[in-house]
Amino acid sequence: MAVVTPAPVTNAAHVTHRRRQLAAGGVVLVAVALLPLFVTDIFLLNVLVLTLLYAAVSQSWNILGGYCGQISLGHALYFGIGAYCASLLYVNFEITPWLGMLSGGALSALLALALGYPCFRLKGHYFVIATIVIAEIGLLLALNLELTGAALGIQWPIGDDSWLTLQFARSKLPYVYLALALLAVTWLVTWVIEESRWGYWWRAVKDNPEAAQSLGVDIFRSKMAAAAVSAFLTAIGGAFYAAFVAYIDPDSVMAFRFSLLFALPAVLGGIGTLWGPALGAAILIPLTEVTRSYAGGSGSGLDLVLYGVLIIVVALLRPDGIVSFLHRPTRNRAG
Amino acid sequence: MLATRSAWAQGAPDDVRIGILFPLSGANAPVGIDARHALEVAADIINRSFDLDLPGARGAGIASLGGARVRLIFADHQSDPQKGRSEAERLITQDKVCAIIGAGLSSVAATVSVSCERYRVPFIAADTSSPSLQRRKLKFFFRPTAHDGMFSKAMFDFMDAQRASGRKIDTVGILHEDTIFGTDSSNGQRALAEERGYRLAADIKYRANSPSLTTEVQKIKSAAPDVLLPTCYQTDAILLVKSMAQLGYKPKNIIAQASGFAEQVVYDAVGDQLRGLISRASFALDLAGKRPSIGAVNSLFKARSRKDLNDNTSRQFISLLILANAIERAKSVEGTRIREALAATNIPGIQTIMPWTHVQFDQDGQNIGADPILIQYINKRFVTIFPATLAVASAAWPMNA
Amino acid sequence: MQAFLQVLASGLLMGLLYALIAVGLSLIFGLMDVVNFAHGDFLMAAMYATFGLWLLTSIDPLLLVPAVTALMFVFGATVYAGIVRFAMRAKGNTGMVQIFATFGLATLMQGAAQFFFTPDYRSITESWMGDKTFDIGGVFLPIPQLFAGFLSLVVFGGLYLLMSRTDFGKALEATREDQGAVALVGIDRNRVFALGWGLGAALVGIAGAALAAFYYIHPQVGGPFALTAYVVVALGGFGSVFGALVAGTIVGLVEALTALVLPPALKSIGIYSLYLAIVFVRPRGLFGKL
Repeated sequence: MAVVTPAPVTNAAHVTHRRRQLAAGGVVLVAVALLPLFVTDIFLLNVLVLTLLYAAVSQSWNILGGYCGQISLGHALYFGIGAYCASLLYVNFEITPWLGMLSGGALSALLALALGYPCFRLKGHYFVIATIVIAEIGLLLALNLELTGAALGIQWPIGDDSWLTLQFARSKLPYVYLALALLAVTWLVTWVIEESRWGYWWRAVKDNPEAAQSLGVDIFRSKMAAAAVSAFLTAIGGAFYAAFVAYIDPDSVMAFRFSLLFALPAVLGGIGTLWGPALGAAILIPLTEVTRSYAGGSGSGLDLVLYGVLIIVVALLRPDGIVSFLHRPTRNRAG
Repeated sequence: MLATRSAWAQGAPDDVRIGILFPLSGANAPVGIDARHALEVAADIINRSFDLDLPGARGAGIASLGGARVRLIFADHQSDPQKGRSEAERLITQDKVCAIIGAGLSSVAATVSVSCERYRVPFIAADTSSPSLQRRKLKFFFRPTAHDGMFSKAMFDFMDAQRASGRKIDTVGILHEDTIFGTDSSNGQRALAEERGYRLAADIKYRANSPSLTTEVQKIKSAAPDVLLPTCYQTDAILLVKSMAQLGYKPKNIIAQASGFAEQVVYDAVGDQLRGLISRASFALDLAGKRPSIGAVNSLFKARSRKDLNDNTSRQFISLLILANAIERAKSVEGTRIREALAATNIPGIQTIMPWTHVQFDQDGQNIGADPILIQYINKRFVTIFPATLAVASAAWPMNA
Repeated sequence: MQAFLQVLASGLLMGLLYALIAVGLSLIFGLMDVVNFAHGDFLMAAMYATFGLWLLTSIDPLLLVPAVTALMFVFGATVYAGIVRFAMRAKGNTGMVQIFATFGLATLMQGAAQFFFTPDYRSITESWMGDKTFDIGGVFLPIPQLFAGFLSLVVFGGLYLLMSRTDFGKALEATREDQGAVALVGIDRNRVFALGWGLGAALVGIAGAALAAFYYIHPQVGGPFALTAYVVVALGGFGSVFGALVAGTIVGLVEALTALVLPPALKSIGIYSLYLAIVFVRPRGLFGKL
């Protein structure tokens, strides 16, 4: 059987399309960067930081989950590794969180590779459950090892404002820009992947499962690489989060609900699309924060009811994701 | 003359806004809902005039601020340290609260207290008893309640006294859940057991909210310690006691680290297996003889919540009175002025509903007068049995022969 | 030795309960390739239903099992008709959309439970089974757990008969194998799915009613059970009823034994490692067909 390798599309219309995507990305970047000029309320800026962070981490998840088709519900593991790496290095050795981010990322990437090897043989739901239990094992270890402070968690020392330690007493602006930068990076990585060999292979496999067999080894290697990239970027998000909150414990960075929250924006916005995760995060995170802050004070549980209803409505109104409002199906859409 | 006229000219004084941050949804919601009732009772006592010997009770509102009323602004942190911080910042910057009381969970108190420090707004840790919160040298952190180290020390002082009077206590068994609460509590108990010469027959850490605790109970049953020292939240307390009953295990003695074992719900569910249980406590209803305001306050609380005051709710209640007292002395709603006033607090215990000797904060913000007591569950009520100065009855020992 | 036997017995009984909780999930999974993220909250709903009925009528929970089961059947079918049916219209990655929609449902149910029942922990304080225990040579078998284990076995037996002997069961099997072909034969897919969801919910309803007799009830009670249920279903193999029974029992035993040997806080590591070990060797679980 002939090997099916789609030839890269190089005609002018396509190149323009790609350039337009980049331009759109640039415009959004600048627009968000200018937002703090108009929004000065601390609470709203906090929501912005969280939205950008979740958009970035969801975009990282999307690389593996949306484009590559391997749904992981255990990404909290990498988020937690990033958070703990940065925290331990800073608190014990005064190493700057910038290096902490990179070490956390590297460690997560290595772990993703090690785990990918046995896990990618699993299909569908078996793979998903495997990712869940692996993350839970990570949580239990963090909760019980002295190394990670066990249940007591790790408190970052309170010091002066500094870009070196990423600690700012009151200002949210540095965190806004850092999270935005992370989102920009993950967005760019996705943009590059869309047009790379990996992107083509993955789309080919989705459209035609038999192609998978002939592409065999290449597919496997590309999945491993995707897993590593996804884990690396997620861990950086985790390290950022640790610096941002300045206190972490296992439940606040490695619990299952985080794994879910990394996947949801992508699903809501459009899984396997360039803008899906960001759109999804832009809706989901403010919704979560606002229902809790303005409807949660009563303790009646109605804010949860409201949140749940809204999620169901959004999920059902547009099951292919919000992005499907904006796109006509193009040959570049994955899946 | 002039000052009074301008005060009149301003009309009614602005409310004194105080942020209240607790879990109001999720697994820990019961703590938050009860806290809400306790704090609303306290606010009521301050805002209206009551004939009680409690700080702020007589007279309506904060007298030094022209009778300004205390207004509580509630927020839900959903047991997440990041959300707690976000809510604290929102309360401070949007709602302009002058202080925050919280938090129901030590992990959330950790981040909220740092936020308060940064905004120079006092944080009153009403009920979070982790000792590690103290060690961060925060200036705006105040804890009226004792911390777990103090509680465990009281438990061991009691055991020493029992042992000295001839009762056999050779071994203890520590059983604790795996969050901060359980970890801090057991660390303290382990150290004290070693220091005071008790052998550790069992040292078991279990996963909070487990579907089953049978194996854990089996391990303790096999170890058969003279005294079992559990540290559990509500859910686990109920399951633990039921599992003990189902396995036919009756511990010789139990001295609990309150929390789960201080909740009415637990006794409603499994009270008949817990006759003779001893728990550390910050509060006991039967001290009404020594703390005259207890009766009235409990009635007010019960009217709202249909429960009696307990460990948590009594501490949350008194926290607001202490804060209001400081605001009164500060004559201001400015954070640093309230902080100074808090640091200078000196309220005699009899003017509270707590068994404390007095309320006075050391330089780390810990109330040094917060003496713990031990209570025992006898005839469906709690009876104070320790220390001798406050005991209403002597301890029934052992719990199960 | 006696401690070891006790742990084995308790683990076995717990395992049968896990199997019962898991089989509803397995059925729905197997039928429509759908993850029901609100499965734990279905369990919670069944427990609250039992509690509510007990409060209202003072009928012993033992006797309330059929009523709760019926209520949950209706609830499950309604959830399909009202929510899941629409979620399945997604053209791509239907699995994830269903996760999302059922996640919303889970949040909604927890909020509603808090609203109607308050977050306080509830329990059924008077029941015939109560705290009675059989003491067999030093090994204690609590009656409520025995009842739950017994129910579990009965249910599995019934399911076997249902799937192999009745038209409905065969329709379920057929729909699972090939959804498209079924339509050609004239079987209304929507109807089968609705009934399938109803059955799945009814099964977890039985577990909830049995559990309510000896476990405390609160809005988040479903979480830990649901996680274990997912592991049981995957370990046994998606779509395999027998697999759910075997895997559930194994999980209960391994969990109990791990708690005996390791610090109990780590007991879940035993079942997670077991799952990974098995599935790396048999990628479709023990008995999975899909």
